[in-house]
Amino acid sequence: MKTAMIIDDAAVMRLRLRDILEPRYEIIAEAEDGVQALSLYNQCRPDFVTLDITMPKIDGIAVLQGILLNNPQAKVVIVSAVGQKQTVFKALSLGAKDFVVKPFDPERVRTAVDRLFAKTLT
Amino acid sequence: MKAEYANPFIRAASEVFAHETHLKMTRKSLELRKSPMPSRPICIILGITGPIRGQVVYSLDEGFAYEVAKMMLPGKLPAEIKKLTNSAISEIANMITGKASIDLAGEDHTIELTPPAVFTGERFHMDFLSIPTISLSLISEAGSIEINIALTEAQG
Repeated sequence: MKTAMIIDDAAVMRLRLRDILEPRYEIIAEAEDGVQALSLYNQCRPDFVTLDITMPKIDGIAVLQGILLNNPQAKVVIVSAVGQKQTVFKALSLGAKDFVVKPFDPERVRTAVDRLFAKTLT
Repeated sequence: MKAEYANPFIRAASEVFAHETHLKMTRKSLELRKSPMPSRPICIILGITGPIRGQVVYSLDEGFAYEVAKMMLPGKLPAEIKKLTNSAISEIANMITGKASIDLAGEDHTIELTPPAVFTGERFHMDFLSIPTISLSLISEAGSIEINIALTEAQG
């Protein structure tokens, strides 16, 4: 089973993402701020991460950069309320695989994550 | 203070509440105030920086906060809902402000939000700067929320 880490400062959102992902993926870590996120990511090396942007200490864009610096192959799906065009563009151009805007439908999150592991047809 | 700052928040609040709680929010009042000082016992403060900057202060009472959390957490036990109430309402405030910021930022700008800070209880005192504020009150069948928007265009 693929492993996941959920990074979001809101406990309610971490719980909800866990409920959405857990039947199919194993959640091995949760972080509630950017500093904790970077430290836990390096310890756990999950197969993918869901990442909020507006967070205390270090924001999600800096966390994304930190994770990708450490592991250029990291799979990161942004899940954030800040869906401004420039922010979405910046996150995707830095290397995030998808950008889910809150509020979201559970299916949108599942699709974004399932797509990370879909075999591409060539 | 531009009156047009109100519309993105009215739209965003209606959409976020409809999606997260299935509540239909309607505008009860819109007035100008001298500061974003909240008038309900629970308040959530978000800062905004960028080409538009200032504060947005949401406030509501305990009963409505609990109802919102209950609707956001279907199937959870009352003790767990109680524990997560502040997180639920701060996430609602975060989503409303995030959604409104899409309209406020437009195509070419970025508006940064601070994480929401929640304050509860009648006994704390907080001073707010005197900033012309649009105070919105939105009402639903389960309760109402006040949104105080104290934003200005950045100078220079």
